[in-house]
Amino acid sequence: MMATLPRPRDAAAREVKVDVDIAHSFGALCVHDGLQFAVRENEFLCLCGPSGCGKTTLLDILAGLLKPTRGRVLVHGEPVDPKRHNISFVFQEPSTLPWLTVRNNVAVGLRIKKRPEAEVRRVVDDILGVVNLRGYEDYYPHQISGGMKQRVAIARAFATDADVILMDEPFVSLDQPTRERMQAEVLSIWERKKGTIIFVTHNLEEAVFLGDRTIVLSAKPARILADVPITLPRPRNTLSPEFMRLRTQFASLLNSALPSRSGR
Amino acid sequence: MSGHAPVLSSVRAEPQEPAPPAAVAPSGPRARSRWWTVLWNCVSLAVALVVWQIGAAEYHSPYLPGPAAIYEAFIDLARHGDVLGNSLWSHIWASVYRLLVGFGLGVVFGVPLGLLMGLYNSVYRNVRAVIEPFRFIPPIAWIPLAIILFTGLTRYAFLIFLGAFFPVFTATLIGVARVEPIHRKVALVYGATKAYVLARIVVPTVLPDILGGMRVGLGTAWMTIVAAELTGGTPIGLGRMMVNYSELLRIPEVVVSMVLIGLIGFVLNEILLLLEKYLFRWRWQVTL
Repeated sequence: MMATLPRPRDAAAREVKVDVDIAHSFGALCVHDGLQFAVRENEFLCLCGPSGCGKTTLLDILAGLLKPTRGRVLVHGEPVDPKRHNISFVFQEPSTLPWLTVRNNVAVGLRIKKRPEAEVRRVVDDILGVVNLRGYEDYYPHQISGGMKQRVAIARAFATDADVILMDEPFVSLDQPTRERMQAEVLSIWERKKGTIIFVTHNLEEAVFLGDRTIVLSAKPARILADVPITLPRPRNTLSPEFMRLRTQFASLLNSALPSRSGR
Repeated sequence: MSGHAPVLSSVRAEPQEPAPPAAVAPSGPRARSRWWTVLWNCVSLAVALVVWQIGAAEYHSPYLPGPAAIYEAFIDLARHGDVLGNSLWSHIWASVYRLLVGFGLGVVFGVPLGLLMGLYNSVYRNVRAVIEPFRFIPPIAWIPLAIILFTGLTRYAFLIFLGAFFPVFTATLIGVARVEPIHRKVALVYGATKAYVLARIVVPTVLPDILGGMRVGLGTAWMTIVAAELTGGTPIGLGRMMVNYSELLRIPEVVVSMVLIGLIGFVLNEILLLLEKYLFRWRWQVTL
């Protein structure tokens, strides 16, 4: 299925940022059976699949940390390489470094990229305002709440002007109200700072709420079941009929694909 | 919030984080309880000394000196030196100097080897049979060999090194295994080099374990030095002074040596604890 461009206002201008064509297995265990998709500049792509469909492995491959058994990941037409490209990663589990203050945690990516210290300071100050953590610059992670830690991780991801920001179920460990607030917050940061996002989740509602486009994956070995643009206007109402219809459509797709598990 | 960042002022109304508490350093009830702890320690120490003094006065024996007699012996030693004309400070300094050299060597070898073998675990797994048996030879059991092979500072430094090395090495080795894969990954995603991961991810994670190992190693090293000095070969050192006076049956001076050994060990340990507290603020500091 071709990716249709969801938001007409920048449709023409946007070029392909990340081009994926991979297959991966661990020994005899086939994890990904020919995944092929492209992500456009400033696109918010949600990858959605059942638990254990190899989403985390896929993200490691996209980040260039793991080599796929077959195929390639291209960023700007070049094979992905963390040393050359700006990749950001928001992890599922808490990933703030406990020995660094909030400010220095957010600055980690910029410092590894050897940006000048004045720029680091400016960017970090700016992004800390965006994620609403002003006043907490000198706190250590264990002094702040789980939601705040995850915001530190998000701030760190947006600080480097990444080519692509990978998010691995970043809100899964948060309680429901915090989760909803964080979703809204990520959207507002993305709308202001821009950025190409690949957001992995097993939560269909989250996918429909956030994405410009959603790719639904099957269980292992993962295949693409559907690649659907989501054109609902933002901010989206999770209770609107269109929202419900999309969500139900994805759910039935996932359900229908489940028996394929036994076919391995 | 909008006042801070004019460019990004179109923020929705949303629940704000509570204003950050002003003070981070412990104060108030915590600080007060710390003073109580100090006070109670002084009280219990005073009670112990009084009981000791009363008991000694009751027996009135030269073999059971009380704190007052020991204090007198200490003042005398501090003023006039020992029977051989060595000052008390030269005894103390000799022991502490040996400790610092041997202990320093233990850290200098223990930390890098622990890091190396922790990072390249296959190296450790393949040389375990060489390293591990040495761990179970008590440093004191090396004394006869050290007496034959070495003299002077070398002998003591060697024995103290043996006492300090293994606690530091083992703590570092185990600490490296505790580095969270996710922390490594955070750095690698941004294209960090191996050197960066070592210096900025591994070392900060392992440092608390290294300090813990150093405190254990310090204890072992200090016990080893005194035992080594007891065996002779040098006219100077706290252990030596103790033996000299025990041969003269002068108990108060023997006890002075013992108390000094205990106090110096205590002070060195407290210094390391303070260092730990300072270095690992990120563990200790608590929001009130």
